[in-house]
Amino acid sequence: MNDVGLVSAAWRTLRRRPDVIVAALIVLFFAVMAAFPRLFTATSPRTCAIREARLDPQGWGAAHPLGTDALGCDVLATLVAGVRPSLLLAFVVVGASLLIGVTLGLLAGYYLGWADYLISRTIEVFLVVPLLLAALLLLSLFKNVDLGAGTFDVILLPAVVLILFNWMGYARYVRASVLEAKNLDYVTAARSLGASDLRIMFRHVLPNAIGPVTALIPTSIAAVIGTEAVLSFLGIGVRPPATSWGIQISQGSEWVLGGAPHILIAPLVCLIAAVLSLVVLGDALRDALDPRLTA
Amino acid sequence: MGRYIVRRLAQAVGTLLLVMFVLHLLTTVAIQLNGTPAQAFFGDRVASPAQIASVERRFNLDDPCFDQPGNPCLGPFVERLGQYARGDLGTNLRGREVTDIVAAAAPNTLRLFSVVLVTWLALGMLLGSAAARWRGSPGDHGIRLSSVLIDAFPVFVLLVVYRYVVAVPLNRWSEQTFGENSWPPYWFKPSFDPSHPWATIVVPGILLGLAGSAAFIRLVRASQLESYQGDHVRTARSKGLGERHVILHHVVRNSSVPVVTAIGLAFVEGLGGAVITEGIMNIYGIGGVLWQAVQDDDVALVIAVVTLLTVVTVLVMIIVDIVYALLDPRIRYE
Amino acid sequence: MSAVTNPGTRQASDAGAGGPLLEVTDLAVEFRTPDGVVRAVDGLSYRVEAGRTLAIVGESGSGKSVSSLAVLGLLPDTARVTRGSVRLAGTDLLTLSRKAHRARCGDQVAMVFQDALAALNPVHTVGYQLTEALRARQGLSRGDARRRAVELLDLVKVPNAKARVKEYPHQFSGGMRQRVMIASALAMDPDVLIADEPTTALDVTVQAQVLRLLAEIQAERQMGLVLITHDLGVVAGVADDVTVMYAGRAVEQAPVAPTYTTPAHPYTRALLRSIPSASGTGRLPVIPGRPPSPAAMPSGCPFHPRCDAVRDICRTEVPPLATPAEGRTSACHFAEDIMAGHDPAPDAAAADAPAPNDGPNNGGGDHE
Repeated sequence: MNDVGLVSAAWRTLRRRPDVIVAALIVLFFAVMAAFPRLFTATSPRTCAIREARLDPQGWGAAHPLGTDALGCDVLATLVAGVRPSLLLAFVVVGASLLIGVTLGLLAGYYLGWADYLISRTIEVFLVVPLLLAALLLLSLFKNVDLGAGTFDVILLPAVVLILFNWMGYARYVRASVLEAKNLDYVTAARSLGASDLRIMFRHVLPNAIGPVTALIPTSIAAVIGTEAVLSFLGIGVRPPATSWGIQISQGSEWVLGGAPHILIAPLVCLIAAVLSLVVLGDALRDALDPRLTA
Repeated sequence: MGRYIVRRLAQAVGTLLLVMFVLHLLTTVAIQLNGTPAQAFFGDRVASPAQIASVERRFNLDDPCFDQPGNPCLGPFVERLGQYARGDLGTNLRGREVTDIVAAAAPNTLRLFSVVLVTWLALGMLLGSAAARWRGSPGDHGIRLSSVLIDAFPVFVLLVVYRYVVAVPLNRWSEQTFGENSWPPYWFKPSFDPSHPWATIVVPGILLGLAGSAAFIRLVRASQLESYQGDHVRTARSKGLGERHVILHHVVRNSSVPVVTAIGLAFVEGLGGAVITEGIMNIYGIGGVLWQAVQDDDVALVIAVVTLLTVVTVLVMIIVDIVYALLDPRIRYE
Repeated sequence: MSAVTNPGTRQASDAGAGGPLLEVTDLAVEFRTPDGVVRAVDGLSYRVEAGRTLAIVGESGSGKSVSSLAVLGLLPDTARVTRGSVRLAGTDLLTLSRKAHRARCGDQVAMVFQDALAALNPVHTVGYQLTEALRARQGLSRGDARRRAVELLDLVKVPNAKARVKEYPHQFSGGMRQRVMIASALAMDPDVLIADEPTTALDVTVQAQVLRLLAEIQAERQMGLVLITHDLGVVAGVADDVTVMYAGRAVEQAPVAPTYTTPAHPYTRALLRSIPSASGTGRLPVIPGRPPSPAAMPSGCPFHPRCDAVRDICRTEVPPLATPAEGRTSACHFAEDIMAGHDPAPDAAAADAPAPNDGPNNGGGDHE
């Protein structure tokens, strides 16, 4: 099947699943929230009045639709402000890991020999250290570094660390697909016709490998969002003054029994909705793009 | 077989050295860029250079290379390897031996992992077999979908919800229903109780096990399907062997190969989960120690525990490889 | 579609001394598929006597393997026997409980599977698999089992048997593995051996060796042998009788020699023509089209879309089983014409009947 056929067939399968459409809408919703926070709230997350701490949700249209948190900041405003760093971090981490993973996987699978030996050993070494442990170690070492408050500055450290320990999965996947694709008849034919290595890689081998890897993306984005929440909970994720759902969950967890459960529940629901939607999308993509997995 | 094990062990030692070197390198760069972690020892107090220097000496951070960005600090690395080889993992900031801390914490982590393992296998066998048995039925689809969701549901969220939202009311309810000194209130205690280690670990363990069980469910399903339809199973039946013999020696025996691999991989994933579980539930295990160390800025302890857990991971991987080779003759004669 | 009524006992070639060991009568097997129920075998009958070899020939999907799985009770869950009987030494296996049916496998009737690499368990030694049934069912001791395993490997001429019983299937070459497969089927001295394409996966030279081995063992032990194959060329040297299957039915059943010289069904004739001969230099005729999908069976004779002697009646009516000669059956409206070597008379209106390939159409061939 050619690429166009595969993509349009995948699209047709996806359209017929209502869960996929709902999931896509939820993801889109959060993406819009990250891009245009003004659409959702006019209140700044920084204008906090301690007198108004822990107000209950007041409903849409009121001053504090989702109530206020322990410091009197508007919950909806912090929630909206927390989307951007979380999503940005996830996209940066997955994007960069993908780039590194695909490049190294392609090189290893295509050239084999010492390139493969080197890359495979590196993958092995990095795989041995669980992502969370590596992040705990490195981020607690960098805990006191001040990098500024810009949009990228607040996520820089977690991004670097997560990328460092996140690319191996893609590399392994691509390497395996390349090994498989390399021996396909049409690739052999292209080579015997004198096509250059680069051309073979990008025109023949990579398109074969890209389907299954694409299917991994939504799930990895979900995983990064989840990991970021843990790191923020520990105070080593996204940097203040920026906020994130993990930071809010950490703060909210203290007030559940203190009569203000909404401070925890609001970010928790958002996190769960975002993660599960991404997972459903990833699962559907996998079904559509990776015929090998359908049993 | 013997030769295979020796080769595999040699490879593992190499990997281990490389991993420790990478960790060392990253730590070194962090220290070079970030300044000495010794300051954390003094908290918010301002320490004199002499005090800092003495702390640095204690944690082997006094080598000048830590002030030269780009220097790989090979000297301290070799020195540290020597210490590790002697079983000396250093001390935490308060001067307590890391080996003592780990020894005290390890039993609880083992408890947690045994609950997790039982949960994995029980859920995997039960749901996986059911899905394979009734393949294509709504039940099968339901199991598949829930395994996908479980797989991606962050353990962290699960535990936060359990501890802060569910556990307290459950605990109160069970105290009223079963009496204060019965078992159920301990099961639902929102944090670990060292005097009832098993009872207070069961529920967190089941939750962590639940989070990792998806892989097992899918695996058991796939390998049973393959085995039920596999040619070699048909051959065994054609010999007139009893169904029980066929299941035991051909279906279960053959699916044990991928299950062992999955246990190894899930263990590595589970380590991260264990840190989160022990941290959130206040379980005094190795992960809990690490969690607390991160919050206390106890960098020396963080480095030691992460290194230790990495070594454990490598060991588990070797064991898995060897068991794998024992179970599957095609591997060892490669 | 109406079933072919088959007088199961009439096509016996020459009744052997002791009567048939295995007698399949009017067997029908259905599969449940997502597209509905599909009939894979429809009214198949055959018999095998001691010391004789029956070849079942057909393309893939013709139901030849499914029918033998039904004999051993190894059909997958989605399949069901809807009709017929399988008599083994007088007992109808299909009326037995699954357990009792299974108990006769291996010891009265055994099977050699096609792909030995998949059919042997990769995690057990060859020796274990050869004597597994003997140990589990007859309580053979470990030492006796080992000796028996070596004997079995010797029997199928695997060199250095003593050392090789300790090895695993993946350490054997394709041909040797197939010999192991045969040895494991012979372990319990079955009366009937069903070999499902035992040589398909092998090189041509190895194929010949394995076939010769099977024939020798069969002759020596006076077993009944059912040889399932898609290659009519393989059959000539080894088989006594032939059953040609097409789309789940037996289209021609006959002793092997007359089948070759005077095929009584156009499908058999086409199969024979497509065997390459050593001397032949011309183009090899192929059978046009593909076997029908069991889910979309053509009306009338299932072979009519591919038949080179098709007439109007073939498109509408299922041919009854004809007996063009003693001991032969053919499911063709024009069995006698085909057997006589000429094509049937053209339809009154049809001038565009496919040109016959051999001999002129010497009309009026309806009667002999």
